[in-house]
Amino acid sequence: MSDFHADAFDHDAALQACARGDQQALQRLYEREHRYLFGVALRIVRQRQVAEDVLHDAFVSIWQRAASFDPARGAGRGWMFTVVRHAALNRMRSASREVSLDDDEVPSDGEGGLPAGDAMTDDPFVHRAMLGRLGDCLSALEPARRDCVLLAYVEGCSHGEIAERTRTPLGTVKAWIQRSLRALRECMG
Amino acid sequence: MTPQNPPRDDMHHDGSPDELLAGEYVLGTLSAEARAQVEARLAHDVPLRAAVDAWEARLLPLTALAPADEPSADLWPRIARSLHIAGARAAGPAAKPAARADGWQRWWNSLALWRGLATGAVAVALLLAVALGFRLGAPAGPQYMVVLVAPQDKAPGWVIQASSPRELSLIPLGMTPVPAARSLQFWTKADDWSGPVSLGLVQPGEPMRVPIDRLPPLQHNQLFELTLEPENGSPIGRPTGPILYIGRAVRVRG
Repeated sequence: MSDFHADAFDHDAALQACARGDQQALQRLYEREHRYLFGVALRIVRQRQVAEDVLHDAFVSIWQRAASFDPARGAGRGWMFTVVRHAALNRMRSASREVSLDDDEVPSDGEGGLPAGDAMTDDPFVHRAMLGRLGDCLSALEPARRDCVLLAYVEGCSHGEIAERTRTPLGTVKAWIQRSLRALRECMG
Repeated sequence: MTPQNPPRDDMHHDGSPDELLAGEYVLGTLSAEARAQVEARLAHDVPLRAAVDAWEARLLPLTALAPADEPSADLWPRIARSLHIAGARAAGPAAKPAARADGWQRWWNSLALWRGLATGAVAVALLLAVALGFRLGAPAGPQYMVVLVAPQDKAPGWVIQASSPRELSLIPLGMTPVPAARSLQFWTKADDWSGPVSLGLVQPGEPMRVPIDRLPPLQHNQLFELTLEPENGSPIGRPTGPILYIGRAVRVRG
């Protein structure tokens, strides 16, 4: 990914130091990234306390798994984001199972319990400026399909939640997401 | 990799269904069960792992769309407490990353906190064996004992006694607080196993007997741990939560 930080903090080296048991290296990573990682988790789980739990578990996991971090599979900063995102997503998906939210239920026309999407998702110029090639490829998608991708990735919405938020039939949402993934893969290689 | 003229709407007729599966996994739209299945496969399925890595790399810039936010000032101290960053591990020799293992074996072997644990645990184990008056000198076969300690401060929390080749006893030394809707899960792995095996869910503060006659015989240095998992246990058959207690089997002579 493109590095949004101008200076040369070496995440990979810090993670390798964690693998050697260097506790201050983990603290440096935390100090550097916690606001961004917390933002990502909060957007997905939507509650500050839960997001803190996610970040806690993710940092314990990063510490424990630092030695298995493989720079050949992707840069260290990105790896930390994937650990946090999947911790948040696992939390959300198992929570929704507990309250038996039925993913296959046809969404009603009524107001869903979720806050409406915001302008973040529909400004192609923002996408192009911040997201590089991915922004170009997203901009090439139909806006409604692009929103599905962003609601899923950024907001952590399930198929059912996207259907509710966008007032689109669930089957349509599923098909749009699959087509969007194919289009993105083709566009980005 | 790229299918020829795939039907556009049906991933099951697509030549690379895992490509879409990996994409949906990274996107986050899979159910808990489907996520668990993907994560279990990632341990050994190299093409799937490559597809997931590629999707992670493609979509990662989207993380910049989530506005940064400041968690409470307590969060780092809380993480630090969980790791006991204040020096518990500072004295040990530098650990090296696991050389060339794969999948879960690699992950399992790579946990830095396991290194250096055995020596301390042996001493504690022998002391406890005396202090608790365990009768470990039964005649048949080697006898093993494990003290499970907290990874942060090495405080002993549970003792495992292999009283027969067919059964383990897990004995609490105190109360282990467990958050609501979470469970303690008991795991073991010998050095030459490819992955950890669940020995079941554990009630905090209560002793438990665990049949082990379906497992290979206990080995010296075999690893045991208790992890914090979802209420019904890990959905994917290997540890997902933080390690609360950990220890290795020690051979004891009567």
